[in-house]
Amino acid sequence: MSQPLEFRPEAEDAVSDEGEALRFMRPHFGEEKFPWIQIWGYIGSLVLTFAALIMVVDHVLPPLALLSVILALAVGQAALQLGVFMHLRESRGLAWQIIFLGMVLLMAVGMVGMSIWIMTFKSGVS
Amino acid sequence: MPSFVMYLVHTLFPHDVLRPTELGADVMIIATGVIIFYVLTKQKKWLYLWREWLTTVDHKKIGIMYLIAALAMLFRGGVDALMLRTNLALPSTPVIDALEYNQVFTTHGTIMIFFMAMPFIFALFNVAVPLMIGARDVAFPRINAMSFWLFAFGALLLNISFVIGGSPDAGWTAYPPYTGPMFNPGPGENYFFLSLLIAGIGTTMTGINFLVTVLRMRAPGMTLMKMPMFIWSALTTSALIIFAFPPLTVALAMSLFDRIFGSSFFTLGHGGLAMMYVNLFWLFGHPEVYIVVLPVFGIFSEVVATFSQKALFGYSVMVISIVSIMVLAYGTWVHHFFTMGAGPGVNAFFGLSTMLIAIPTGVKIFNWIFTMWGGRIQMTVAMLYQMAFIPTFVIGGATGILLATVPADYQLHNTYFLIAHFHNVLIGGTLFGLLSGLYYWWPKMFGHKLDERQGKWAFWLFFWGFWITFGPQYLLGLKGMTRRIYTYPAGFGWHTLNVISTLGAFVMGAAFVILVYNIIYSLQHGEKDLTGDPWNGRTLEWAIPSPAPEYNFARIPVVHERDAWWDMKQKGQTLAAMRPEDMRTLELPKNTPIPFLLGFAFFVVGFGMTFEWWYIVALGAIGVVATLIYSGFDYDEHKHIAAEEVLEIEAGLGRVQG
Ligand code: HEM
Ligand SMILES: [Cu+2]
Repeated sequence: MSQPLEFRPEAEDAVSDEGEALRFMRPHFGEEKFPWIQIWGYIGSLVLTFAALIMVVDHVLPPLALLSVILALAVGQAALQLGVFMHLRESRGLAWQIIFLGMVLLMAVGMVGMSIWIMTFKSGVS
Repeated sequence: MPSFVMYLVHTLFPHDVLRPTELGADVMIIATGVIIFYVLTKQKKWLYLWREWLTTVDHKKIGIMYLIAALAMLFRGGVDALMLRTNLALPSTPVIDALEYNQVFTTHGTIMIFFMAMPFIFALFNVAVPLMIGARDVAFPRINAMSFWLFAFGALLLNISFVIGGSPDAGWTAYPPYTGPMFNPGPGENYFFLSLLIAGIGTTMTGINFLVTVLRMRAPGMTLMKMPMFIWSALTTSALIIFAFPPLTVALAMSLFDRIFGSSFFTLGHGGLAMMYVNLFWLFGHPEVYIVVLPVFGIFSEVVATFSQKALFGYSVMVISIVSIMVLAYGTWVHHFFTMGAGPGVNAFFGLSTMLIAIPTGVKIFNWIFTMWGGRIQMTVAMLYQMAFIPTFVIGGATGILLATVPADYQLHNTYFLIAHFHNVLIGGTLFGLLSGLYYWWPKMFGHKLDERQGKWAFWLFFWGFWITFGPQYLLGLKGMTRRIYTYPAGFGWHTLNVISTLGAFVMGAAFVILVYNIIYSLQHGEKDLTGDPWNGRTLEWAIPSPAPEYNFARIPVVHERDAWWDMKQKGQTLAAMRPEDMRTLELPKNTPIPFLLGFAFFVVGFGMTFEWWYIVALGAIGVVATLIYSGFDYDEHKHIAAEEVLEIEAGLGRVQG
């Protein structure tokens, strides 16, 4: 054997106190005793969902206003999901997150935009 | 009370599950069930089954379960295909009637895409990805098990439809308005939507899981540009899944709402927009075809390098092309509905964007050929599939370009030309690739090779069977034969070609039988793989024993070069001569029944909702919530393997110095 094989540093590999040596490198995660944020987030997301549903089912507003309001609710919902359940604020490397989020936004806008373009030829069935 | 029983019998066993084919299937299912039950009980294997398999979170075992499911589904989908082909060879005396024909092609397509190709891919992801990147498991092992069980119970839900309640019959695309309740009463389409929704949750989680695994779990030193191509394909496929499945989920859920809650998203009246379904479906559907073909590009990249005994040609170009295919795959979906009438601007845009994809694909083809160029090629079964794939896929791609030419598509759309095109890429690409991967990684999964001689028989029959089946279908398409017809009038000149096509289908059926025989034979007589590196491989999975121990790597090696294991071998290094002092206590995920129970609870929800029995739905929903809550508070999810125990296992495998 000419060159000895290197292994991943023990600190990352072993389950021992040595593992603590790199502790400061680990990402910081919010560690609450009880996941209140998640529970409120969950309730909030349900409220947003049902608000949109009820408003549409009961036609509470004229169509254009209705569309604008449920769109706003959807944006709120997305923000809530990202903030509460995707732990967006808690990680290191925020720069990467922003790049990826930008890409996501681009894809989403692209898909929605192109779908609108595709469907412009008809607004319903003739 | 009797009226209640009558209601049950009528709902669960209507006419179309009491035809001879279904009754025959009933007998077979019950018989198989009894045999399995008997064997398990006799050999006292129930506990073993539960402990070692149903509750496992080990990616290697999950991979094997995916594989078994995929092969079973290949069987069912294949039998369906033979029924369809038999009918078309006998147009004057159809064996099955129009209704049953619709049900069978719907089941065939749905099963082959969602319950054969997808799980087969996930099988190979699970088996190979963590090993290739030098990881102990995937990023989220428990979620991985949940994905599997959601897939498995989703598949079960679709599979019972033909004997309980009736099959869906609106095609794997399930376009409205035909899926609406007034045109399509009965549980069939509910089964379809619910099973795909449930399996889809699992698939989405798999996408997230493998994305994170690839990004976060690689061995030290394995930078992105040092990852094996298969890992790149897992990464891009996962990204495709994450973006492609939401539109599908939305389309399926809205269709289901239209059916059971009386909404009118896609109905003809009440302001519904049926074409929006088509748009959403293909917004998913085109990325989906790349979801099932990119992993295969990855497999072939590994197979061709290994069996040419040369590094992959043009690695960085391969990476660029797979990433650009991934991006372009989102911008072509309209080519599936040019004839909807969106106008020349839209059609021209999407025709061109489709043709653009051929460029990076062509680049990959050339790189595979250049990899073989000057290499010492070994004609193993895995390599044969790779060699057959190249010309086959080129022809499939070329006919795709033809279809992307809008004026031509107006003629060819929904004819047998289209059928031939997508089978050309799905069989010649996806299936050949998956089988190549099966032969390639089989020793890593089971510790022995599959018999090569039998494998070659299966290969040649698959290859010729494929061309005999689908070659004539191109001609039939040009002669105007449309898809999804159960018979056709004499005198159209379609009969001879159809008979040839059907013969080809039976040749492929024979190939499948040989494949199964090959597997069973090799379980006992297969050449044992004692080194863990039967093919003189290049990537890390070949550095460890076959089958891999539970913890995969006793120690995780530092990677310096692209083909990490090849590089180590070049330097005279090995993972098979560990020193006792190298051993460490390892942390591994612990088995849990939660994923299985979660899948079962979802199944109950799905079954209840199919028949709109809300008490059962509520029961299942409680189960879902309860398992999730329990899982959330279950902090005891790891176990430790002591260093001494690792040493003992490695020593038992003959991998310790001295
Ligand atoms: C260069 C590559 C490709 C091109 C240019 C291409 C083009 C097309 C076009 C234009 C259609 C629509 C035809 C019609 O409905 O009239 C189509 C259908 C289809 N293609 Fe491809 N394709 C390509 C590769 C693939 C691959 C790699 C797969 C799968 C692995 C695939 C699977 C399918 C399927 C499943 C359909 C039909 C779905 C249905 O209507 O049920 N294609 N392709
Ligand atoms: Cu497509």
